[in-house]
Amino acid sequence: MTGLRDALLARDETRLPGRRDEDWRWTDLRGTLRPLPVVSDAVQPLADRTDLDGVRTRRFAAPESAGVLALSLSVPAGETLVLLDVIEAGQGAYARDLTLHITLGEGATLHRLVLAADSADAVSVSLTHVTLAPGSTLQQTVLATGAKRQRIATTVAHPGAGAHAQLDGAYLLAGARHSDQTTILDHQGPGGTSAQLIRGVAADQSRGVFQGRITVAEGADGTDARLKHNALLLSDRAEIDAKPELEIYADDVACAHGNTVGALDADALFYAMSRGIPEAEARLMLVEAFIGEIVERIGAPALQDAARAFLADGLEALRR
Amino acid sequence: MAADQDTVETVAALAGEKYAHGFVTDIEQEFAERGLNTDVIRFISAKKDEPQWLLDWRLEAYERWLALDEPDWARVNYPKIDYQDLYYYAAPKQKDGPKSLDDVDPELLATYAKLGIPLKEQEFLAGVQGSPRYAVDAVFDSVSVVTTFKAELAKAGVIFCPLSEAVREHPELVRKYLGSVVPVSDNYFACLNSAVFSEGSFVYVPPGVRCPMELSTYFRINALNTGQFERTLIIADAGSYVSYLEGCTAPMRDENQLHAAVVELVALDDAEIKYSTVQNWYPGDAEGKGGIYNFVTKRADCRGARSKVSWTQVETGSAITWKYPSCVLRGDGSSGEFYSIAITNGRQQADTGTKMIHLGANTRSRIIAKGISAGHSSSTYRGLVSVHPKATGARNFTQCDSLLIGKTCAAHTVPYVEARNANAQLEHEATTTRLSEEQLFYVMQRGLSQEEAVQLLVNGFVREVLQELPMEFAVEAQKLVAVSLEGSVG
Repeated sequence: MTGLRDALLARDETRLPGRRDEDWRWTDLRGTLRPLPVVSDAVQPLADRTDLDGVRTRRFAAPESAGVLALSLSVPAGETLVLLDVIEAGQGAYARDLTLHITLGEGATLHRLVLAADSADAVSVSLTHVTLAPGSTLQQTVLATGAKRQRIATTVAHPGAGAHAQLDGAYLLAGARHSDQTTILDHQGPGGTSAQLIRGVAADQSRGVFQGRITVAEGADGTDARLKHNALLLSDRAEIDAKPELEIYADDVACAHGNTVGALDADALFYAMSRGIPEAEARLMLVEAFIGEIVERIGAPALQDAARAFLADGLEALRR
Repeated sequence: MAADQDTVETVAALAGEKYAHGFVTDIEQEFAERGLNTDVIRFISAKKDEPQWLLDWRLEAYERWLALDEPDWARVNYPKIDYQDLYYYAAPKQKDGPKSLDDVDPELLATYAKLGIPLKEQEFLAGVQGSPRYAVDAVFDSVSVVTTFKAELAKAGVIFCPLSEAVREHPELVRKYLGSVVPVSDNYFACLNSAVFSEGSFVYVPPGVRCPMELSTYFRINALNTGQFERTLIIADAGSYVSYLEGCTAPMRDENQLHAAVVELVALDDAEIKYSTVQNWYPGDAEGKGGIYNFVTKRADCRGARSKVSWTQVETGSAITWKYPSCVLRGDGSSGEFYSIAITNGRQQADTGTKMIHLGANTRSRIIAKGISAGHSSSTYRGLVSVHPKATGARNFTQCDSLLIGKTCAAHTVPYVEARNANAQLEHEATTTRLSEEQLFYVMQRGLSQEEAVQLLVNGFVREVLQELPMEFAVEAQKLVAVSLEGSVG
């Protein structure tokens, strides 16, 4: 999963994953970094502080050429953390690999919002491994505007036992940007629930990728896992690729996934225009409403505000 | 066994003289070497009296096959196949088999009884020694159809014959279409098939003709250590219609057997092909010993505008199934359908699904796949829906449902979607559930046994697909569903 990291650290371009690797078939990193940038000695700066309103914000500044960072975080049993991770844009063609570990104690709750704002020429991969404990709750939302190649992957080790994972996401892509959201949710024990809703919009020549794998291990009975990916294609030169997978080894489960790709609803567009809204404006309105549902599902109000502001910028990019 | 002799003679009579000098006898005398090399390919080609171009085609396929690697991406596990340890020309290797019906495993007899296959046929189906081998190709249930109705079909202009005969009688058609849907080196197994394919059916329906009857072939593997590599080619010319049925069974053997077939369908303007399969190869015993490796490449090219291809498959057999009947929707307004029931029990593994490649404008596709896993089996739906930039107005609907019966089986769903047109609409939904306790309870309290209750509910689960099967097959398939799940309850 961390092919970029390996390639950067080993300074070996041949280690970059490409479309022949099943997990990277739509996020081909080969040939995107020539020459392979050198990882700077200094670890890229990370700002980490907690606001008065209780939101802990981590800002991952972009490296100048290439940066690799691994970081761990744990939420103690019974506690609640509201976490905002901002993956900041930098200048030009940098390469960045983030590997984040998050552990939740028993009954802990984590609200996490990831805002991935990479530069158009960047190659940026971030991988978060989350380990849940019984009774814990993860509520994560990833918002992305893409890069030359961008992947935001989350793996969740889910023990069942009353734990719940919500993995939401949205991507708003314009220009020639690419964004890949990948989730791997591993239901390892009985009595767990999960819900995922990913919405995406691809305009111009952009490419949106979603891969979601739900595994239900033998004995993980009573698992309820749901996953939905809906995407809008706004241009004939844009592309959406999706692969929602189910891998089920237990029989007493309810698992479902849905996946749709389509254009904006012509009737809704017509209606808006008939009320005097110019077409371009009407389109944006519909896109905003489509993505807006993701924001409404965010449990922590402070994160909702941050999400709205981020999406407003993303919509602005679609307008251009 | 007088009755059997009757059947044998009837079949032989229907099949005509050709069968009296059936190739099997010839093979017995000139047995193809074990293993695969250019000599074996030349041998096969010579046996079939093939023209030079076809031999060259085979040899080229063999060259390419040598350079290919066996695919390993499917979710199936099996020991490495030794391709040099197989026979590539169906020369049945004689060994002491059961001498009469009494020696046949009663479990097998019971299975056939359940299938509704008449007893005198059972000897063929169980591979009993003593019955002439060409009749063992119980296949020839359907050859009789060929013979019986050949005149009538010919009157309509429909060509329906073995592929080897078509090579001789209609070389221009074969040469034009063979390998045009599944290219020689399309994949490892298709490439192997191209080199060594032995038999199969050829169908050509001329423009504007609605084929007056269902065409069918009943494939059967009977010999030990022999791979079967049939190749089917169906061409529906402009405005024509044909419905084709394919059935398969194999005897119980402890050894695994390889079946690597290729099916190519070509539908020209406004033509329609309906292709139904009831695949019931021997799945191996409860411990996973024996059974057929079913590695099949099936693809339809909807070449013409408004053409239509519909695949319906009921997959209950085979130790391992690796099969993705696909539609290339090239013609504007063409449509593809895929209806599938895959049932796995015991140690069976099935990795099956479809590909719908939307190339033309306003192309439509519909996928309904139902997977049922029981015992220690595993069933995977793997599918691709791809919409290319020119496929404006393309439409796809996909539904895959999996049903799990028992704690030790597995079900997977791996759908790929690639959309590159803003005016296309794609929908996919999938669910995985178990057989509901409430439903079972309800049905059982109406007086049905647990096994009957499961069958009833399962039949309800797969109803959408069964409805797509032609009548005769629907009945057979329904019974197969019952057979395959036997012993999986509790």
